Amino acid sequence: MSVRTEPAIKIAPKSIRRSWILGGLLIIWVAVAQILQGKATLELAVPDNSKFTAWAGEVADSIRDNRNDGLAFKYFFNPIREFIDGFVNIIREFIAIPNGSSSIPVLGWLGVISLIGFVVFAVSNVRMAFAAMALTFACGALGLWTDSMDTLAMTFAAVILSLAIGIPVGIWAGLSDRVLKVVTPILDLAQILPTLVYLAPLALVFLIGPASATIATMVYSIPIAVRLTAFGIRGVPTSPVEAGTSMGTTKRQLLRKVQLPMSSRTIIMGINQTVMAALSFVVIAALIGAPGLGKPVIDALIIRNVGDGFVAGIAVVLIAIMLDRSTSAAITKKETFVPPSEADRKRRKLALIIAGITAIVGIVLSRQMVWAAFFPKQIDISSQVANVSDFAVTWVTENLELLTAGLSKAVTVGVLNPLESILANSPWYLTITMITLISLILGGVRSAIVSATLLIAVVATGLWYDTMITFTQTIVATMLTMIVGVIVGVWIGRSVRAERALRPILDAGQTLPAFVYLIPMLGFFGPSRFTAIATGIVYSIPIVVKIVGQGIREVPVNMVEAATSTGSTKWQLITKVQLPAAKKSLLLATNQGLIFVLAVVVIGGFVGGGGLGYLVLLGSSKPELQGKGLVAGFCILLLGVMIDRIAQYMVARNSAPKH
Amino acid sequence: MVRNKRVGAKASVLAAAAALLLSACGGAGVDAEASAAPSGDAALAECGSYAIAMHAWVGYTASAQVITEVAKANGCDISQVTLAEAGVTYDAMESGSVDLVVEDWGGGRWQEWADRGALVEVGDNGNVGIIGMYVPQWMADEYPDITDSANLNKYADLFVNDESKGKGAWYEGPPGYTTIGEKMVSANKLNFTVLPQGSEAALIDIFTKAAENKTAAIGYWWTPQNFLAKVPMARVNFPANDWTDPAEASGLTDYPELPLMKLATPKVMEANDAFTKIVKNFKWTNDDQNQVAADIESGTDPAVAAQKWIDANKATVDGWLK
Repeated sequence: MSVRTEPAIKIAPKSIRRSWILGGLLIIWVAVAQILQGKATLELAVPDNSKFTAWAGEVADSIRDNRNDGLAFKYFFNPIREFIDGFVNIIREFIAIPNGSSSIPVLGWLGVISLIGFVVFAVSNVRMAFAAMALTFACGALGLWTDSMDTLAMTFAAVILSLAIGIPVGIWAGLSDRVLKVVTPILDLAQILPTLVYLAPLALVFLIGPASATIATMVYSIPIAVRLTAFGIRGVPTSPVEAGTSMGTTKRQLLRKVQLPMSSRTIIMGINQTVMAALSFVVIAALIGAPGLGKPVIDALIIRNVGDGFVAGIAVVLIAIMLDRSTSAAITKKETFVPPSEADRKRRKLALIIAGITAIVGIVLSRQMVWAAFFPKQIDISSQVANVSDFAVTWVTENLELLTAGLSKAVTVGVLNPLESILANSPWYLTITMITLISLILGGVRSAIVSATLLIAVVATGLWYDTMITFTQTIVATMLTMIVGVIVGVWIGRSVRAERALRPILDAGQTLPAFVYLIPMLGFFGPSRFTAIATGIVYSIPIVVKIVGQGIREVPVNMVEAATSTGSTKWQLITKVQLPAAKKSLLLATNQGLIFVLAVVVIGGFVGGGGLGYLVLLGSSKPELQGKGLVAGFCILLLGVMIDRIAQYMVARNSAPKH
Repeated sequence: MVRNKRVGAKASVLAAAAALLLSACGGAGVDAEASAAPSGDAALAECGSYAIAMHAWVGYTASAQVITEVAKANGCDISQVTLAEAGVTYDAMESGSVDLVVEDWGGGRWQEWADRGALVEVGDNGNVGIIGMYVPQWMADEYPDITDSANLNKYADLFVNDESKGKGAWYEGPPGYTTIGEKMVSANKLNFTVLPQGSEAALIDIFTKAAENKTAAIGYWWTPQNFLAKVPMARVNFPANDWTDPAEASGLTDYPELPLMKLATPKVMEANDAFTKIVKNFKWTNDDQNQVAADIESGTDPAVAAQKWIDANKATVDGWLK
């Protein structure tokens, strides 16, 4: 430990000097911003186009006009659409929609549940198999069997296709720095660019229906698979790799025998997150005519029926939990694998055979008996669940108003308004100068150049003011996400029990469609920028918690034991050992927290967030402003890249060799 | 790894066995019982199959559902496709994926598609969109002259909140609607900040709370929308309207009345079957729509709510089929 603290003392004077300069800069910024308040803010009225957005609109129009290029459709888009539609429909006919001339899918409800039970049992254990069967059954009990199966089929298709592309690319990016450098900006683009920006063009090319929805989902979920796979491969300690190399193993052997097995936990987490991402798309998918649980969510939203919305939302969460637990159980089982005795193996074999026969009986029954084919209507707990949700939301709205209003007011008046007044409501040149100077101090010359370039690009688009409004909200939302996420992440990283208890809540945060809690959020906080932030962090906190928790858990046991034996307190253990050792995970968590916040900026536009999110919504429904919506989407991307790069340069600089 | 492979092999054997079994029994049991139900009638041949775009507001659901029920009763094969409004829907019409929009508020935003022959503007559906700026009824009672736009500045202080930068908060309509709030504020020199609201739900929340807690609010609202029947509001009157194209509006005057439009694909217009007639002739009043919408909002299944109105208005419905 003494080795660690020494350099920290050495660099102290420098970092103190740096924070003095930073403080000074901030004071100057605030002062000058006060004097020049409201001047040169480049505010553009909502219905107006800038030169650039008008041009973007014209370009989009001309692409639209020229799309009757028959060859591209015949040999490229149509085959892709047909392949994906076909793939989705095969799975749907298996579990969701009538198959051919039959009036039921290949499997009735009992058949689906039996099959799920058997598969989960085969890859993990009995408990997990029953849990998965119960969760699937619950979807039926919510009165949403067919919609749930449609969503399951769509998710399955999107996840398989995403992994088929994402894992190989992720492995490649994990092995080669150059590949990582090339793909990172593309991943940023795909993850941050709001879906609504590319949804209409996708539907234009691939038509409405399952294919467009699957592709839209893949655009968002492939980057997650790539990132986490690459991260896992890179996280493999160097010693086993070196040992392998010195023993003369080939690259391929190294990958298969060392790097892949050692990073399998992270890769499985990547698969989980890909599933979660796919499930977070059910409502968006419904906007372009795809089947599944998005439709009941929208139907409930139309008549502002909070309870029914939650019923459909909960079905999404149940599917998420079912898929997530099954994949996790499979990997845990693999890890704790102790060579079984002969008797154990025999018993297991027998159990598998029994399970298999039971599953086949269930499947056959589901094709022969009406009661096993169509989910029984008598089993329906949807109205009870709807009532409980309604009651809970009403109770919070009525009884916790002081708390919700107070929280909203504190953040709005205390943080949002002051930050907005210096970022958005002061002259643009002042903001650019100050951000550039700050990133110079924090991250060095290269970071300053990146910030200045990206900010000037934003000015050139004409959407400077809206970008700064969104920037303000993004900063606040990311900060809140990180504060809550790191605290909870450390907690679940240190306590298995906490992890078990919180996991369903985290899954719900990530997969419960925002449209389900939009109306309750409005009820709690009213339409405002804070409400936009609140809806954003519901979605982004879980990923931060999960990554941080995972990082803490992976801190080598001997480090923790060494610290404990030298008498470190719990607090010291966390701040001096576990958090520093999990630094890489913290970085990934910050990056993903930010990206997830930006991914739901558009949702904020629905509830009074204004800024770029609202412009994206506007552009998708007003053809004359489509260019503005498109450019707003790209400005969200520029913001994301800028914040992320400043953070990266800052970290790279501070963790540079301190000798 | 070795063990996993074994499990995999076993699973695939089982799957193959299951597949054999499945093909052997072929689901005959269930189908035999299910096919006991009557399966469509011969009239189907006369009317084609069509897809109606479904948009996310209850008035739309009411109109679309009534058309669906009438068309089905006349042998048409109707499917409903939930879709985002405007561009996505027009593109879907161009590619032939959907055939009908029953209520478009866009005031001509479809023109580009109509020019290309992708869709046809069939005419209005009888509903008239009345858009305006509203305050909760209690404000109109307490400050009777507030409903005159000329007096708004006198009361601007009442509307200030944390979001509105020291001026009055002016809650603007959702993105899909015709909105000229910024022009109205600047042309009338109103001491208000326009706050864009992304959704109908946000506005409903504002007006509901304003009525319940007697707080001040001024916002965009419209009929036909059955919400006004539940939470009374008063319209703020601006000088009479003088524009139709929002791009040319001066901002000094109020919103115009907007006939809500039916849009259909050429396929529908050329088919000359029962559906063509229904689409061309469908017309009903704001009151009609509000009746059905109110039933749907109170939890009635849309199909049942539509059928109830159809049964009560036989003469009107028969008129559409002539």
